[in-house]
Amino acid sequence: MPPLLKVILRRTLLGLLTLLLVSGVVFAATQALPSDTARAILGREATPERLAALREQLDLNRPAIVQYGSWLGGVATGDLGDSLVAKQPVTALISGRVKNSAALVLLAALISVPLALLLGSLSGLLRDRGFDTVVSLGSLTLAALPEFVVGILLILLLATQVFHIFPAVTLLDPESSILAQLKMLVLPSLTLVLAVAPYIVRTLRASMIEVLESDYIQMARLKGMSERTVLGRHALPNAIVPAIQVIALNLAWLAGGVVVVEYLFNYPGIGSALMDAVSNRDLPVIQAITLLIAGLYVIFNLVADILTILVSPRLRTGLQ
Amino acid sequence: MSPERKKGPQALHGPGLELSEEVIGPGFENVSAPRAQGDKRRSEWVQLAHDALGYRRTKIGLVLVLFVAVLAILGPLLAPYTPYEFTGLPYAQPGSDAVLGTDHLGRDVLSRVLYGGRSVLLLAFAATAIGSFLGVTFGLVAGYTRDAVDDTVMRLLDVVLAFPQIVLVLLFVSILGPKVWLIVLIVGLTHSPRIARVTRGATLEVRERDFIKAAEALGVSRIRIAIGEILPTITSPLLVEFGLRLTYSIGLIAALSFLGFGLQPPAADWGLMINENRIGLIVQPYAVFVPVALIAVLTIGTNLVTDGMARAMIGIERDTGAA
Amino acid sequence: MSEDAKKSGFDLDRILSQRISRRDLLKRGTAAGAIIGLGPLLAACGGGTTTTTAAGGTTTTVGEVKKGGNLKIGLVGGGAQDTADPHMSSFIPDDAINWCLFEGLLQYSADYTPEYLLAEDVSPNEDATVWTAKIKSDILWHDGKPLTADDVVFSFKRIVDPDNPLLGAAALGGLKSENIVKVDDMTVTFTFDEPNVVFKTDALTQRLVHVVPVGFDPVNPIGTGPFKMKSFKPGEGFVLEAFADYHGGAPYLDTLTFTEFEDPTARVNALLSGAVDAICELPPSQLPVIEATAGLVALNSKSGGWVPFCMNLSVKPFDDVRVRQAFRLIVDRQQILDNAYSGVGWIGNDMYSPFDKGYPSDLPQRVQDLEKAKELLAEAGYADGLTVDLITSDAVGNGAVAQAEIFAEQAKGAGVTVNVQKVDSAVIYGDDYLSWGFSVDYWGLRNYLQQAAAGSTPDAPYNETHWENEEWYALVQEAAKTADDDKRNDLIRQANTIEYNEGGYIIPTFKNQLDAYSDKLVGIEQNEVIGIPLGRWRLHTVYFK
Repeated sequence: MPPLLKVILRRTLLGLLTLLLVSGVVFAATQALPSDTARAILGREATPERLAALREQLDLNRPAIVQYGSWLGGVATGDLGDSLVAKQPVTALISGRVKNSAALVLLAALISVPLALLLGSLSGLLRDRGFDTVVSLGSLTLAALPEFVVGILLILLLATQVFHIFPAVTLLDPESSILAQLKMLVLPSLTLVLAVAPYIVRTLRASMIEVLESDYIQMARLKGMSERTVLGRHALPNAIVPAIQVIALNLAWLAGGVVVVEYLFNYPGIGSALMDAVSNRDLPVIQAITLLIAGLYVIFNLVADILTILVSPRLRTGLQ
Repeated sequence: MSPERKKGPQALHGPGLELSEEVIGPGFENVSAPRAQGDKRRSEWVQLAHDALGYRRTKIGLVLVLFVAVLAILGPLLAPYTPYEFTGLPYAQPGSDAVLGTDHLGRDVLSRVLYGGRSVLLLAFAATAIGSFLGVTFGLVAGYTRDAVDDTVMRLLDVVLAFPQIVLVLLFVSILGPKVWLIVLIVGLTHSPRIARVTRGATLEVRERDFIKAAEALGVSRIRIAIGEILPTITSPLLVEFGLRLTYSIGLIAALSFLGFGLQPPAADWGLMINENRIGLIVQPYAVFVPVALIAVLTIGTNLVTDGMARAMIGIERDTGAA
Repeated sequence: MSEDAKKSGFDLDRILSQRISRRDLLKRGTAAGAIIGLGPLLAACGGGTTTTTAAGGTTTTVGEVKKGGNLKIGLVGGGAQDTADPHMSSFIPDDAINWCLFEGLLQYSADYTPEYLLAEDVSPNEDATVWTAKIKSDILWHDGKPLTADDVVFSFKRIVDPDNPLLGAAALGGLKSENIVKVDDMTVTFTFDEPNVVFKTDALTQRLVHVVPVGFDPVNPIGTGPFKMKSFKPGEGFVLEAFADYHGGAPYLDTLTFTEFEDPTARVNALLSGAVDAICELPPSQLPVIEATAGLVALNSKSGGWVPFCMNLSVKPFDDVRVRQAFRLIVDRQQILDNAYSGVGWIGNDMYSPFDKGYPSDLPQRVQDLEKAKELLAEAGYADGLTVDLITSDAVGNGAVAQAEIFAEQAKGAGVTVNVQKVDSAVIYGDDYLSWGFSVDYWGLRNYLQQAAAGSTPDAPYNETHWENEEWYALVQEAAKTADDDKRNDLIRQANTIEYNEGGYIIPTFKNQLDAYSDKLVGIEQNEVIGIPLGRWRLHTVYFK
């Protein structure tokens, strides 16, 4: 089906173009940092000679466009440069952080997506009943709350003031795997779950209601199909299509949402590494992390777009 | 209905991909064009407000917002102390002279709470206004001109969309330092692509209507048509969008204060209070809990009002009967 | 060190050379590594007062020692720049590693007297230009090799490498690489161009000149200390394990697990919840929490670290001595101590080096006098009020932002508007550092002449108040050359008095070193004055009850 392929190809190319522009923004922004990087590294130890030597060493003397070119070339080959502060490769420095954040985000996604799909579709199905009202108002309320507010309320409730069940801060034992320390992940991931699930719930509920009212569901019922078949085979799959976008966007959002949550819970992930790098003016680390987060955002959306086109019969046929 | 924040379903659809409106499906009627007719378009927002108030959630939301707004605006008149004077030792417990205790420096928490709401409301409102101005401008330009301009504008806005808002703000704050104007500007800027999409989507539908064609035939300038004819027609989705962005602005600006990048000491500001007093959470929770609760009430309120407006916009038929 | 310093004469030159890296001093809340109150500068010359004690020097263990266990410690957060290189220690995590893994030829005891550690003797020639160090023969590295003179030579050459001098170089008084010479397997000589009488007592005791083995690699750090590195994640934490062959006796504990907390709230919560057994740098406001919590103990040690307001004499309005005097009268010191430091510290009198023998403790304690301040301001032409910016930063340390906020409030009473500008570390210590008009800074404790040479003489590297006073400078120069204790102290007293009356510093308080730990731990020593966390990180004699 060439038209479909064409659309997918077009989307992919546009996604790549966006990524390129994003890298340009990241690079330009970090280039504009006011504090001289070499001076920031040397601090009060800066003598003119040492500054000059370090600038040379860091390639800070070359034109920005040349630096951008070599940086981009490095990114393409997986070389993100060396941290100016830690003096070791950025990849080595943040790989552990990336894993920690990935564990957090994955856990949050694995809980929030099925939970939200369940609540959303049930809520749509049981429209206007007590369950629906509770879920609707609950998700509307939670959707309004900034994640640090949710996190602090959870700390007050579950860690310090009311109950003392979970630790208010993350204390990872560097010796053992993060999965062996799930207790540490509970509050941060719960915060993320409560931050993203409401949107999925609300989307699914709305699309479920729409699908249930649609002609083909009415038709299926008239044909005498069992309610189970109607819901399982026809209603739910169609209702999920619009939710794919929202799920993808929420997962992508998690990549950035971890910044505040990691700060709140002292969680050693990319978010806290970014805060650290910003205060240290550690350009390569800032570049790497922001590019990583933005790249994830673009890729998640691309995948969601393509998935949506593929699973949506209306669209597929419409293109032909 | 379903208000969305950092993640509009429409968020990353490129220009010329009108199919995305279909992809989005029924969850996002709030972004589709209104069904308003040309002749009654100028009073549309009045109708919207009237319909929205028909829902109980809108009323509740309005009460919550008004409560916080009145507290923030009149608070300084009621405060027993100035927000800066030292009334006791750090983290003193609530007592007769300090109803909510003192903060990390021994200042009266109640007074700082009463003074600290104005900045939250003002900055969030300013950021949303900037975002709306930029977004509506971009959206009108993209939607009413075509092809190349549309493509370019929307593509550039996609770049902004690729950054989670907080990351983009952090990036710029690390360049220029934590300045209030910068934060308001960047938060506004990060709102603009989402608002632009809504504006553009609505404009695309309206621009083919007869009264626009007629105006074009009469030789009215395109700018006048955009501002005088199209804009008034699409106020409903824009109002809903404004409500959404206001909710997220409040959260984002408070979060930035909480991270230490917003207003700076000794200012009285709810986000900053949370940041400063978090260490005393165990000794004296009120210095954190009260600002947190007020931010929560405010955002819930704006979201309820927005949801009511969205419901009013798409009509009663889909309503769940909460009214 | 600067060439200019040479002009100021031999003694001052030497003192200057002892200055500690600014970055090292500034970025943390302790006075670790500061060179302080040895009283008579020259008295330690012969080295005869120094005694050899067991490594570690602590004998506080009572009752039956229980061995084994993992001690979990919450640290002030460092970051990606954390290093296990003892010659580059800057932040608290670096310091903790340094003190646990590495040792110097000498160390300070808990009461601040120098004692031998890796060396068994260090002696000067007659004019203190050549120092001969003999090292102990029974000391092993973590990898089992014995400590030799080669290691000592390597370490000091590494520090003073002219192409890449490390932070410790500043302490070594211009020692040249070629003048570090191995005599035999256990003996090294250090030769100086000019006499260096405090080389042994002030320099060799510092953490930045700890000894590392030949071919040292910070990624795989090998030391002689009681603990060795097991794993290390910069910015997150590290695990150390006991070194069974430690020359001071094997540690009682099996492992030490250090976790870094960027956020003080998280650090305190970790201790309260039992996730860690000890934390360093307890925020003073949390002292009541620790005291009220059964099973936790606070370690509150007096120290001489100070957080001054610095008034720049080279800019308006601080060029007028009446304005400076007025500002000093604006400060309610007790309120700053109570509200910014929760009372954990003690009141200052606008003079540094409070433990110096020449400190004029008989000068009247300055107290708030807003009327007098207003009079002085009016005389200086500011009768209608005055507005100044006050630069401060969290990077300066605990209390720096708080005391600025408090001062701003106090200043209102004298008609002075103070705009507090909170900036980040890269700004306050950036290009404008030393030229701010009015700012907050932090200094560790040193004695008077060393502090003057670092921060107050015309050629001092960090003369942030732009203090220039010929009469004062003559007194300081004279004192630096004076061997007689009483005479020198009298000169210092006179110099101090001039600063007390006209200087650019406001010193409202001195800080305490405040840590906290679980009472299950035995053997954490109380130390006064030095300001190194948790009993100077001497943890090999610590055990669980």
